[in-house]
Amino acid sequence: MTVRDSQLGAALALLTVAVALAVAALLDPARFSPDPDSLALQIGIAFVLTFLVVLVLRYVLLLWLSYLQHIENRGRVHSDAPHPRVTIVVPVYNEEAVIDAAIRSLLALRYPAFDVIIIDDGSTDGTLGRVSALAGIYGTVRVRVLTKVNGGKATALNTGIAASRTPFVLCMDGDSRLHPDTLQYAMRHFADPRVGAVAGNVKVVNRTNLWTRLQALEYVEGLNMARRAQGFLRIVNIIPGPIGVFRREALAAVGGYDTDTFAEDADLTLKLLTAGWHVAYEERAVAYTEAPETYLDLVKQRYRWTRGILQALRKRRAWLRSPRQGLAVWISLVVMLFEAVLWPAMNVVGNLLFTVAALSAGVAGGVFYWWSLLTMLDVAAALYAVGMEGEDLRLVPYSVAYRFFFITMIDVAKLFATAEELVQVRMTWGKLERVGRI
Amino acid sequence: MTINLLLSTIILVSFLITIVMAAGSYVAYKLREGRRPALERAAPEGESPYFERILADEP
Repeated sequence: MTVRDSQLGAALALLTVAVALAVAALLDPARFSPDPDSLALQIGIAFVLTFLVVLVLRYVLLLWLSYLQHIENRGRVHSDAPHPRVTIVVPVYNEEAVIDAAIRSLLALRYPAFDVIIIDDGSTDGTLGRVSALAGIYGTVRVRVLTKVNGGKATALNTGIAASRTPFVLCMDGDSRLHPDTLQYAMRHFADPRVGAVAGNVKVVNRTNLWTRLQALEYVEGLNMARRAQGFLRIVNIIPGPIGVFRREALAAVGGYDTDTFAEDADLTLKLLTAGWHVAYEERAVAYTEAPETYLDLVKQRYRWTRGILQALRKRRAWLRSPRQGLAVWISLVVMLFEAVLWPAMNVVGNLLFTVAALSAGVAGGVFYWWSLLTMLDVAAALYAVGMEGEDLRLVPYSVAYRFFFITMIDVAKLFATAEELVQVRMTWGKLERVGRI
Repeated sequence: MTINLLLSTIILVSFLITIVMAAGSYVAYKLREGRRPALERAAPEGESPYFERILADEP
């Protein structure tokens, strides 16, 4: 028997036990019939009601703020001012399958003044050969390639930033592709001298199976809508790795990327916010990225994100404890902590508690109404977000599956990662294998 | 069993299965990662290398 067989066997055994327990509970509700006046039941019901209130409030706030951002951003006019030169920094590590498409997307950018620096972070495949072949001058665009000993994405980005000589820097992933209008839309925000960085809009390009389509919806409905809402307040708390544009002066002021977390993008964003810079969001600065195509790869990604975010937050403990240092930044940090840990925990525990409470109180039929309510909220939010971004309407039906199992699976993975971060389990970077669909 | 109770049962069972599958997948992920050799990486020394350690030449 192979290890894989053992894993499958264990999973099936667990599954059978779970199904048996669930069926037994439903067939014999008396088993779960404590005194309705019991403290435990009352606490459970109070928690579930709190969860419901937080859920609705969260949606209302997100929808309202994101709508305001949408209106504000649509009214932003093109500036006639000269376009400042931008350096695009592309860190690559074993991106042989996708790097050609990424660089060619840069050469198609509709922006008059930019250069490209590709940093090979000690790739062990044919990446360096491929990017070296792309070095040269293309019209007004100069493509340079630097190579260094492998040291991680943050060090590669720092190398590129240090080598740049322009007032603005766009940092992206080697496995991403930019929309031709990305740069011109993102640069408009820098007319405000308080804006230190602009977060872009990341979209999933490989919508080839259920997992990637669910992630495509998650990016639109979950990640981007939250970023859009934060953008209205200029307190975006994660500039995504695939697309972030920075004022070089701001990067220099905060010392660039740190290497002590596994979410260098979140960490840098928090450094900028706590240094007093505004961080905006531009929905039309679009980057396309490959999402993990298998569930295990998705777990790997979310594991790193969750632990990295917690590491970045841990570095700002003092800020979290003291809103007086800056209320907007404090709100941003609290929101980050809430979304990374508290909300996933509430999602899982809230649903579990509701189920137990419904069984205990002999109203198991209420589970259907509960889930219908949550799903309706998700479908409504998906319709709204998809409509606002002009996204593919076919993503909306996936919001049913999103609520049915996807968000629970993601939240459980986040909770495990949180537990491991709390007890400081050793972790490695865990690079995702790309299949070259961008 | 009413249709409501039937649907509730399906949801309940699916939810519990999801929790178990998620936990099982997490274990599978940890097992898979445990078998992979960790990426060898030059450990950064001291503070952030930004503008200090990196001296890139102009071409």
